Amino acid sequence: MSTVRHQPEGLDQLQAQTKFTRKELQSLYRGFKNECPSGLVDEETFKSIYSQFFPQGDATTYAHFLFNAFDIDRNGSIRFEDFVIGLSVLLRGSVTEKLNWAFNLYDINKDGYITKEEMLAIMKSIYDMMGRYTYPCVRDEAPSEHVDKFFQKMDRNRDGVVTIEEFIETCQKDENIMNSMQLFENVI
Amino acid sequence: MAAGVAAWLPFARAAAIGWMPVASTPMPMPPQEKRKAQDGLIILNVSGTKFQTWRTTLERYPDTLLGSTERDFFFHEETNEYFFDRDPDIFRHILNFYRTGKLHYPRQECISAYDEELAFFGIIPEIIGDCCYEEYKDRRRENAERLQDDEEMDMNNDVTPVNLTFREYLWRAFENPHTSTLALVFYYVTGFFIAISVMANVVETVPCGTLPNRSKEISCGDRYALAFFCLDTACVMIFTVEYLLRLIAAPSRYKFMKSVMSVIDVVAIMPYYIGLVMTDNDQVSGAFVTLRVFRVFRIFKFSRHSAGLRILGYTLKSCASELGFLLFSLTMAIIIFATVMFYAEKGSTGSKFTSIPAAFWYTIVTMTTLGYGDMVPKTIVGKVFGSICSLSGVLVIALPVPVIVSNFSRIYHQSQRAEKRRAQRKTRLARIRAAKIRGTNAYMRYKQNGLLIDSLEEEAGQALVGKAPSPPFESQHHHLLHCLEKTTNHEFVDEQTFQANCMDISVMNKTGSRASSLSSSPHGLGSCCSRRHRKKSSFSLPSTNNQELSTIQIRERPVANSRASLNAKLDETVPLKCDEPYITPSMVSLSAPVVTSSDGDGSTTTAYSQSNIVRVSAL
Repeated sequence: MSTVRHQPEGLDQLQAQTKFTRKELQSLYRGFKNECPSGLVDEETFKSIYSQFFPQGDATTYAHFLFNAFDIDRNGSIRFEDFVIGLSVLLRGSVTEKLNWAFNLYDINKDGYITKEEMLAIMKSIYDMMGRYTYPCVRDEAPSEHVDKFFQKMDRNRDGVVTIEEFIETCQKDENIMNSMQLFENVI
Repeated sequence: MAAGVAAWLPFARAAAIGWMPVASTPMPMPPQEKRKAQDGLIILNVSGTKFQTWRTTLERYPDTLLGSTERDFFFHEETNEYFFDRDPDIFRHILNFYRTGKLHYPRQECISAYDEELAFFGIIPEIIGDCCYEEYKDRRRENAERLQDDEEMDMNNDVTPVNLTFREYLWRAFENPHTSTLALVFYYVTGFFIAISVMANVVETVPCGTLPNRSKEISCGDRYALAFFCLDTACVMIFTVEYLLRLIAAPSRYKFMKSVMSVIDVVAIMPYYIGLVMTDNDQVSGAFVTLRVFRVFRIFKFSRHSAGLRILGYTLKSCASELGFLLFSLTMAIIIFATVMFYAEKGSTGSKFTSIPAAFWYTIVTMTTLGYGDMVPKTIVGKVFGSICSLSGVLVIALPVPVIVSNFSRIYHQSQRAEKRRAQRKTRLARIRAAKIRGTNAYMRYKQNGLLIDSLEEEAGQALVGKAPSPPFESQHHHLLHCLEKTTNHEFVDEQTFQANCMDISVMNKTGSRASSLSSSPHGLGSCCSRRHRKKSSFSLPSTNNQELSTIQIRERPVANSRASLNAKLDETVPLKCDEPYITPSMVSLSAPVVTSSDGDGSTTTAYSQSNIVRVSAL
């Protein structure tokens, strides 16, 4: 058991940095602290928490990518501030900010380009979460086919990578994606 | 399910935004929040001890008393709190279950009191956490055994049930002599005759005075040959009758004949019958006399009457390998010492050690510290080795006893522990599996119910709730899983459906395609469940889930809705229902085209029976 403890910044500062109300921050922190009494989430805890929502499949790989997306300063643990800032973007941010966040998630090495390999890794991890018992059965080529479709849509200049501009532009043109971005507004 | 981490569900849902850009199909709508969950404090007064917790904490487990509306019955208006007239010490653990998701069992509490409290608050004991589960199960088992012992003591005075067949009754009488007076009588009679027979065998060899015309003493057996013969006949007849009765009454005759006791029975009575057959032949009568030796086996029949004998036999059987090894090492020592003694005594005159096998006798007698004195070494070397032999003999003989005892105790305890571990492991795995299956089933139900409620609302134009809506946490979790399905264009199914699907391929490969559009899609149907849609009612599928049956029946009503996504959902989830006996998937899926929505989705009619994969809008 680590003896590292972390206390978050005050409620007022967090309120200024994020778009949550005071009550929302309070309830968020209570849940956070319940699972992580030390105030920090390390990757293992994060993976185990996230896996509980997907009992049929294996959510650890996707949780790994998610962890990297939330751990902005790359120090191997998520503090409450990182957690809440990330959530603020996802739930209360503009569509562009959300798309930025999604791009950041897919861009594993954070170099500004999504390559096919990165996308394939992400896609495989998503399909892993489905597990074995699906209808129809997940074939081995399903993730790569999905990746191909994605690239066909997104990669305008066919240079094999997707840049942030291509990504945002294509998503803004797609009605389904725009609709689904608004889906989780009232989650808190 | 994942209620322990319920607080992280909003995070998981927010993170689902990461799937949106790669999803090929539109996402389902989130569940409507009927009312904003008021996160107020609830006061629980349990016999004067006040507990307070958040309302949402209690509502994590809606199928318990505290998590459902059942607690309203205990609401006390004057003090604005919920009052329970129960034990506050045990209630502490129950409330902790809501908080942490883990149920603990306190060691100092009585198991029956704890069980009662759990039952009152609607919590099933199986979810006790692993840290306390073993203890709980042990205590429970002790309790059950205690109750059972009490019952058995009562039952021994009961009248035997009348509805046993004669054969079962007979077998029961043989195995359990205390059940009826007749059985007891038979038990003692056979015991008596065994004793008589053994004693007769012994007495007939005693010398019994001389015949008038002979000087040699003859044994009693020869003097009163007829009497002994009649006695022997009587005993053998009783034993034969007993054996035949047991054979008739045995539930499994073959197994009975293989058992040790029946073999002993047969061996005990065989010499008599062989003797009857062979009395005339003089040559064989020598062998016949030898056969009489086997009559001593009758004494083993006593093991039916004595449990101690049985236990001894079992002990020896279980330690057989150790005994064998012991024998082997003893043999080695005997051979070594016999050889040495032979060569040491070779020189001396008139020595009895004529060969090495002859020296075996000396070695055995010396090593077991018997020392008959019929063979003694005469040379000095011989005496030296002889003393070494007797000293080592003490050691060698002293070794086996603790070995056998420790082996016995080790084997006994090992088997106890292995059994216990195996049983616990099985139950634990079963519990984990059951929890997973429960979660999956809950999700499946949600999918139909969610559609049902939505469609009903669309129809009636108002919040028509046919059944209680699932709690907000669960519906949100299910919506999250639904989004994942949409992202990957695959659906969750449970294990039975999955197996059924994979069997369908082989079955239905032969049926021709009904619609050409169906066969044309290479990707659409993948490997599994390709033909399910074309199945007619003649194909009956194993029915496993009755709940889905009822909900499917409700859904037969034509569902008119304008949202393409809802329509798509209805079609997609149809193939899952492959476990109804008479509601065929094809029937429901056929209704879809009839039900074309008002915006005339022609595309849905062609695409309905294809799997969700192919229906893409922009891709």
